[in-house]
Amino acid sequence: MIAAAQTRTLAPEALDAAAAELLESGGRMQMAWALVPPGTRHPELCYLAAPGPRRPFVVWRLSPQGAEVPSLARRTPLLSWYEREITDLFSVRFTDHPEPAPLVLHAGADPPCPVLDPHCRAEAVPFAQVPPKFPAVSGDVQLLPFGPVRADVVESARFFFFYIGEHILHYQPQLFFKHRGMEQTFQGRDPGPAVVLAERVSGVGSCAHALAYCQAVEAAAGSEVPLRARRLRVLLAELERLYNHLHYFGQLADTTTLKVGQAQGRLLEEQAKQINARLTGSRLLRGLLVPGGLRRDLAIDRALVRELGVLRGETVGYVRMLEQTTSYRDRLHDTGVLDAATAFDQGATGPVERASGLDRDLRRDHPYAAYEDNGLRVPMERAGDAYARARVRAREIDVSFDLILRLLPQLAAEGPIRGDCRPAPGAEGLGWTESPRGSLYYAVHCDDEGRLARVKIKSPSYSNWRVFPYTVHESNMMDYAINEASFGLTIAGCDR
Amino acid sequence: MVMWSWFGLHRGKATTGWPRPGGDDGQAGVLGMPRFDPQCCRTGCRECIAVCPSAALRPAPPGSEPPLRIDYGRCLGCQLCVEACPEGALSPSGDWAFGVTRREDLQWQRAVESSAGQALGQRVAALRRSLHIRHLDAGSCNGCESELQALSNPFYNLHRLGIFFTASPRFADLLLVTGPVTAPMREPLRTTYQAMPEPRLVMASGTCAVSGGAVAGSYNSGCGVDQWLPVDLYLPGCPPNPAALIEGLLVLLERIPQRVKGGRLER
Amino acid sequence: MSAELIALASLAWIAAAALGLTGRLPLLGRGLLAGGALAALAGALAALPGGMGPVPLGLSFSAPVSFGLPPEAAWLLGFGLVPAALAVGLGSPLARGRFWIFGAALTLLGALGVLGLTEGAAFLIAWELMSLGGAMMVLSERGPDSGNGAVLFMLTLLELGAVCTLAALIWLGTVTGDLDFARFGAAGAALSPGARYALGLLLIIGFGAKLGLLPFYEWLPGVYARASGATGVLLSGVVLNAAYFALARALVDWLPGGAGDGFALGLSLLALAVLTAALAILYAFQEEDWRGLLSLSTAENAGIACAALAAALLFRNAGLMPLAGLGWLVALLHLAGHSLAKGALLLGADGIRRATDSYRLRPQGLLRRAPWPFAVGALFAAMSLAAMPPQAGFVSEWYVFQTMFQGFHLPGLAGPLALAVGGAGLALTAAIAFATFIKAFGIGLLGGAAPAGPRIPRRYALAVGLLGALVLATAVGMPWWLAALDPGVAAVLPGATAKALRSGWLLVPLSNGFAFISPTKLVIALPLLALLPLGLWWAARPRLRRTPTWYGGLPATSEQAAITPLAFSNALRTFYSMVYRPTEEMRHEHAGLRYFVRRLSFDHRVAPLFGPALFAPTVKFVYRLAARLQGLQSGDLNRYLAVIGIVLVLILAVALF
Repeated sequence: MIAAAQTRTLAPEALDAAAAELLESGGRMQMAWALVPPGTRHPELCYLAAPGPRRPFVVWRLSPQGAEVPSLARRTPLLSWYEREITDLFSVRFTDHPEPAPLVLHAGADPPCPVLDPHCRAEAVPFAQVPPKFPAVSGDVQLLPFGPVRADVVESARFFFFYIGEHILHYQPQLFFKHRGMEQTFQGRDPGPAVVLAERVSGVGSCAHALAYCQAVEAAAGSEVPLRARRLRVLLAELERLYNHLHYFGQLADTTTLKVGQAQGRLLEEQAKQINARLTGSRLLRGLLVPGGLRRDLAIDRALVRELGVLRGETVGYVRMLEQTTSYRDRLHDTGVLDAATAFDQGATGPVERASGLDRDLRRDHPYAAYEDNGLRVPMERAGDAYARARVRAREIDVSFDLILRLLPQLAAEGPIRGDCRPAPGAEGLGWTESPRGSLYYAVHCDDEGRLARVKIKSPSYSNWRVFPYTVHESNMMDYAINEASFGLTIAGCDR
Repeated sequence: MVMWSWFGLHRGKATTGWPRPGGDDGQAGVLGMPRFDPQCCRTGCRECIAVCPSAALRPAPPGSEPPLRIDYGRCLGCQLCVEACPEGALSPSGDWAFGVTRREDLQWQRAVESSAGQALGQRVAALRRSLHIRHLDAGSCNGCESELQALSNPFYNLHRLGIFFTASPRFADLLLVTGPVTAPMREPLRTTYQAMPEPRLVMASGTCAVSGGAVAGSYNSGCGVDQWLPVDLYLPGCPPNPAALIEGLLVLLERIPQRVKGGRLER
Repeated sequence: MSAELIALASLAWIAAAALGLTGRLPLLGRGLLAGGALAALAGALAALPGGMGPVPLGLSFSAPVSFGLPPEAAWLLGFGLVPAALAVGLGSPLARGRFWIFGAALTLLGALGVLGLTEGAAFLIAWELMSLGGAMMVLSERGPDSGNGAVLFMLTLLELGAVCTLAALIWLGTVTGDLDFARFGAAGAALSPGARYALGLLLIIGFGAKLGLLPFYEWLPGVYARASGATGVLLSGVVLNAAYFALARALVDWLPGGAGDGFALGLSLLALAVLTAALAILYAFQEEDWRGLLSLSTAENAGIACAALAAALLFRNAGLMPLAGLGWLVALLHLAGHSLAKGALLLGADGIRRATDSYRLRPQGLLRRAPWPFAVGALFAAMSLAAMPPQAGFVSEWYVFQTMFQGFHLPGLAGPLALAVGGAGLALTAAIAFATFIKAFGIGLLGGAAPAGPRIPRRYALAVGLLGALVLATAVGMPWWLAALDPGVAAVLPGATAKALRSGWLLVPLSNGFAFISPTKLVIALPLLALLPLGLWWAARPRLRRTPTWYGGLPATSEQAAITPLAFSNALRTFYSMVYRPTEEMRHEHAGLRYFVRRLSFDHRVAPLFGPALFAPTVKFVYRLAARLQGLQSGDLNRYLAVIGIVLVLILAVALF
């Protein structure tokens, strides 16, 4: 039984009907994962269903006992990647999957046994470079395999463009070059210190990942986090959102070739990171969160308030200048349009989803930490183009500043910052946050000694990378970089 | 009509003077590698070893002093050992400038022998004032990339030091690798190194690249870059901040002396 | 001497035709064809520089028929027969019936007749034999079944041309009283300027249908796509040269320029020729089949030659005989180089077909599986067609531009302006031709990984190599080959001389001061200049470390990562979309929902210009007319009787009045 969520056991045959019923009632599927429960031999599947805002999550559990499971990908396309990942890591087969191909372990990998099965002690998976599978493309079309080592300081991934001249006919990214096996690293560890691993799944989302992980462990342990710690957590999460969004605007100015705009955006991001460092000792907000609260208290002084005020003033001016630059707006309008239907079907999340007219924000719909009593505005746009995504983020910066300024007086009072948190043997918990890029989930399963048996991480970039190709098909090469920048995704979070 | 050029000129210079004396390195408050005081370390206590997530702390062979072996090449800077130590043998510090040319220099040692001559001289002589870097992400968490991208912002402005990032390994002098080298990235790593003309250098930036970090030895991750390529500079840190990166690059180019000896940063 | 050789050649070809009909001993048939071609070649060479005087054939239609080869005819015949001999010797890889040899023999005989016969009826018979032979060659080949329509289209257009020619000949014949060409010159001079212009247009349409002048070039790609390279060599070599000779003789000899009234004809021909060249090469650039590309390039080159001819007409009209001679000679030089180079590439295409079973232009590493003469020959031929120094194509193209540039000598404004605009059009043509042959050579031959597969046969490699070497020899020896045309140009355009085109080892447009080139010297200087970089490379060899091409860390996955023919042509396709009206079609096949794409097919097309605009409506009109006239086949006896009655009355009326 997963704390913070209801559980429902299903037989594999009933899966499709349950999914249909969920979609009819206006809910949606979030993710799916597998685990080998301690003491058993066969993998068990879990599906996370969200019936609606303000209603608790439901985890569907299946025990196929080694048989094939019907694929839900045709009903809920966003699950196709989760099913392929489960096949790669647990060797569970899905019948009638529309795109059966290796996803997480590239086609050339040859694991001797399912790598996330605790019985399997695979050290290093033998590997050979094999090109991925494409749709059969006939006609005089050119193929550009771009990567994995790309120009400039960026992450590694390979993108395949089928194109003629400027016109991109089909686009297929090959990710998971950076798959480190983080989920396996959690297995067998003590839940407390393992927060350090959660921080290092996605470097620029350290705080969000650590927070989701801590909340999952706290849900498993059933422990209560002190109010001051919860407020400090909100402060840290919003500080992380700030520097990420400022980096985003710098990147967007770079792709629309505004050199001074890029420099200013990066400078503002640097100022935000220096504020982080002075406040917490870490530019990326690492080393603070722990299941049960925070590891040390933070000193909120007037200098911090003043610096944040200066940063806010400069940011507001900067964003306004960007909006008034015609070349910037021209290049963002109608670029990479994502319609609401595709966004829903493919599981888009975060500012990408809110720019296409889907109103979801975990801080408001499933409040955690101290978001419940802090009244939150969720910005939304309908156009679904790059400009809408930039607008949503610009307004989120405003919302974050407002939240922080409202929190700072509340943090003047002293208070405990850490409670006890020790999960019972066999406990399970679900934690979530709204990271700067979207909804982030951690599902934690503990073994009989209270250590971690399985940690499932669903990063928002994983969901959004699935959506991204649908905005690139039939677009043109010149807009590609701007489109990718307007999504603002990480690859490390997706690949884990 | 926005005049970005006027805005930039009006804004003025935002670059720090560092590493010239008197400059601000921008890392006020940043925590670095924990400092070790062997006097306080009690034999038989294993509190720090139990919590270290990356096995940077190991027990020394029985009978040797001190009872703790620290490999800073595996240190994530998470400060868990600092909190766990009951005797205060490990204390927080701002020692983040940990770039070294030999891997052994990251192991804590009591006696510090005189530093052996650096074998780089010949290869870096021509590159001292102008270095071109090809960055390769071999599976990092993106934290290292975030700090590397910060090197181009107006505060650090790497270009003023004559150091540039290039798009192609054919123009590169230095291959800067981040990440523990996941299995799919092995061949691209090797190909990129082969594509570089001599003289060429390799820098392992970040604890993952130095030793594999938190994910060392998983089914898809390696144990750092020196498993595959000869490394000329090791810079641990998780992630190394931009000032540490600049310091490491200047040590590599022999523009400043290496200050880390025997796992200790000389002040 | 040359008359005997020509007679021998004709006999050999007739024997080959007979043998071809029986369908036996194809090797002997081809041998006879090739032997005849060599004999005729020798005869043509022997006929230079003075030409072969008319030899009476003992036949008589409207006048006694005789056969004579003026120097320009011998020149064109010789240059056309060199690749033709190789082509008929090698045979067609697609020929499936016995009619290929027969068709080839007919074509050669017809071309010979067109070049030499001096009487109108015999000339027309030879002209029709040439067309028929060509059609027979194409039909006898194993092309796609749908290609028969293309041949019918070609025959229709050629018949249209033949009708115009017939009308022109009859018109001139009514003036002189018979169809002997010798007196046509005087007949033309006796006509009024308007009549001369109309006659000139009829002749241009008549001969232009075969040459491929606008809008008649549209039959070329369809027909060539059904044929083999060998057929193409005959059609683009001997036949093209013969058609051009007929046109040039008609416009220059039969329509002598009075003072100032030949301007309209020259201008019309110039406009037509330049537009033909530009449009033909634009469409050639988009072709992805060797034969289609080369056929449209033939039309382009015919256009360039006709542009030079038009310049000659304009200069003659203004009384500037040396410049007129320059233009007239330039066209001959152009067609000479063109025959050799086009022949080389078409035979090369045949070789490619034998190696890969397809004529498609695709990067398949062909040069790595061909003997080296093939590569050298194909390179020289492509360079020549792309007008790169020091090849023959460069020489003639340069001369064409020099002719155009000298337009300022013409009086008034219209003349210089016309030649200047024509020059601009030809410059565009030259640029696109350059790109076309880079595409053909770079992608079709040079590009691609070296796969396993059959090699290009040695005999094709040697043929292509020989022709390429001849192209270079033509260019390098041009100062000396020009002497062969001196008496010819003097006879046709008094006051012009071919000696004015050379100055020592330099080639000059009438005077040294204006401009000059020298392939002769280039061919010596270039290898010497190459020694320096070669030496540097040799010295640096030991210290080089070779690594694979940088491609982002992993090797490029497939051939598609390299440039494809469509990718190369795409920029022009987009830029000239008002001419091409390109269309693209993408079809997706899904696995269930539209998100899961299983298959993508991409199709691209360019629309021909005159097909839908001119020919399709004409065909529809003819069909409608035929439907109306179908009433005559009603089977009704009364209607037949009525028609017979009307015709009788008409005959009576004509006879009585």
